[in-house]
Amino acid sequence: MSTVAERPAAIAPERASARPPKDFDRPRFLRVFAWIFYLFMFAPIALVVLFSFNSSRSLQNFEGFSFTWYDRFFSSESLRSSLIASIEIAAVTMVVATTLGTMLAYGLVRARTRWSGAANVMMLIPLVTPEIVAGVSALLLFTQIGLHLSLTTIILGHITFSISYVTVVVRGRLASLGPEVENAALDLGATRLQTFRLVTLPELWPAVLAAGLLVFALSFDDFVLSFFTTGESPQPLPVRIWSAIRFGVTPTINAIGSFMLAISLLAIGLALFLPRLLGRRESGLGVLLGREGA
Amino acid sequence: MGSRLDPGEGGVSEQRFASGFLFPGAVWLLLFFLVPLGILLAISFGTTDDLGNSLYGWHPENYRDAFDPLFAPVLLRSVGYALATVVLCLAIGYPIAYYIARFGGRRKNVLIALVVLPFFVNYLVRTYAWVAILGDEGIFNGAMNTDIRFLNTPYAVIGGLVYGYLAFMILPIYAALDRMDPSLIEAGKDLYGSRWHTFRHVTFPHTFQGVLAGAVLVFLPAVGDFVSAQLLGGPDEYMVGNLIQQQFFAAENWPFGAALTTLMMLFLLIFMVMYLRSAAKASREAMA
Repeated sequence: MSTVAERPAAIAPERASARPPKDFDRPRFLRVFAWIFYLFMFAPIALVVLFSFNSSRSLQNFEGFSFTWYDRFFSSESLRSSLIASIEIAAVTMVVATTLGTMLAYGLVRARTRWSGAANVMMLIPLVTPEIVAGVSALLLFTQIGLHLSLTTIILGHITFSISYVTVVVRGRLASLGPEVENAALDLGATRLQTFRLVTLPELWPAVLAAGLLVFALSFDDFVLSFFTTGESPQPLPVRIWSAIRFGVTPTINAIGSFMLAISLLAIGLALFLPRLLGRRESGLGVLLGREGA
Repeated sequence: MGSRLDPGEGGVSEQRFASGFLFPGAVWLLLFFLVPLGILLAISFGTTDDLGNSLYGWHPENYRDAFDPLFAPVLLRSVGYALATVVLCLAIGYPIAYYIARFGGRRKNVLIALVVLPFFVNYLVRTYAWVAILGDEGIFNGAMNTDIRFLNTPYAVIGGLVYGYLAFMILPIYAALDRMDPSLIEAGKDLYGSRWHTFRHVTFPHTFQGVLAGAVLVFLPAVGDFVSAQLLGGPDEYMVGNLIQQQFFAAENWPFGAALTTLMMLFLLIFMVMYLRSAAKASREAMA
């Protein structure tokens, strides 16, 4: 916790050497405000993680370190199957949504048919639709066509809202590439498919990977869509957390929450650092946030 | 096809090739996103049989019921809470975005990553952490030895929404500030603008697109939220999302739930269109 809060303070001297400081230019209250902000953002999360290691049931006093609640979590067969279900959902969603989203991005940037505009709007709307709308309409679709609610229906719902994230991230990357290199490959005698596979895709990999891992994390954490499209069992972890919370706060939820946090962080960390590990200069954060802008 | 021999012919074949890529994703979104919205609309005019199954039909009274004195306050409350959330997110988010963009130095990326990071902790877990902190016998009241009632108040629900969606406000404002040429601010000050005047006449107008984007991106999910009101509030704080959720899982009145959802979507559509148009404009400007 403290390492997080200390960061803003550490910046001041660094910047002073980079540019001559102007006192009126750097109001002190902003720095204090930023400190408080980060504290406010991370304190609840830190508490969840801390109390997941508490040896007693108390949610107020930390009475010693133990793995009791993780033990409870992993020794419960139904919670274990929920964890596996959540990972399955996220993995399948990641693979399918990343494939479809990447193709859609390529089509949107390179194709100029009269459908492109409509496809573009249809791709953007899920990003700004409240999840409950997507959840309700997915539930209605599945019940109307008589599809039994199960992991499959959850996955179908997750893929639908994940495609747009992938498309936006990959499209930003694609737009910055420009068609010149592809044209050069075509001039040198490559077929369209060869050009895509050997020229375009290698350039897109960092964005595709980052988008895929982002989708994994989003799907793994998703509650609302899963809540509306889940069957009886196994239910994904967030749905289990929801039912458990309604019966009151128990420390096992802290353990589940902390464990989910660890998995999400792993996915996001990979998304941020894989491009660099693959020998790219840009960071994953740049790829993810890069061109999205306003 | 002919591109290998004659690059001039490539246009047609490139179009066909690229359109082929467009197809699967577009069809998927059509089938699993647009068609369900159509079904939603159809069912919202339906009714239920004695067993609670949905039947199609023409029952516009579902929409009239939504404005019944019993439910209308819930709709108004949702908009009110969401607006309050937007205002608070702006008041907190703008200074933070400003701080990171102007004074973040080489750690800008780290600071922005730290803003995004909590977003990847499950929303339920984050909200429920506040229950543990603010509960009647929670950490705060225990540590301070006080007896303050935080939960089951509008403040708690709005606070939960702010905590949940703040990142959506900070990111677009940060992007706008980061794009802005800092010498503009210096110029404003060189021209003897006070700090406040420089902000009002130079910085804020330059980042207004970002503010607008952030406001919409917070408003949309906040209106539809039901987790915050359920966990941090009580029936007196319920929002339209809670009402919809009840129709599907407790009251088993799906047509009424569908009507509520459709109404919410129609209301939010105005803001979506506004946002998408301004985003399209921004991306055209960025390309140019």
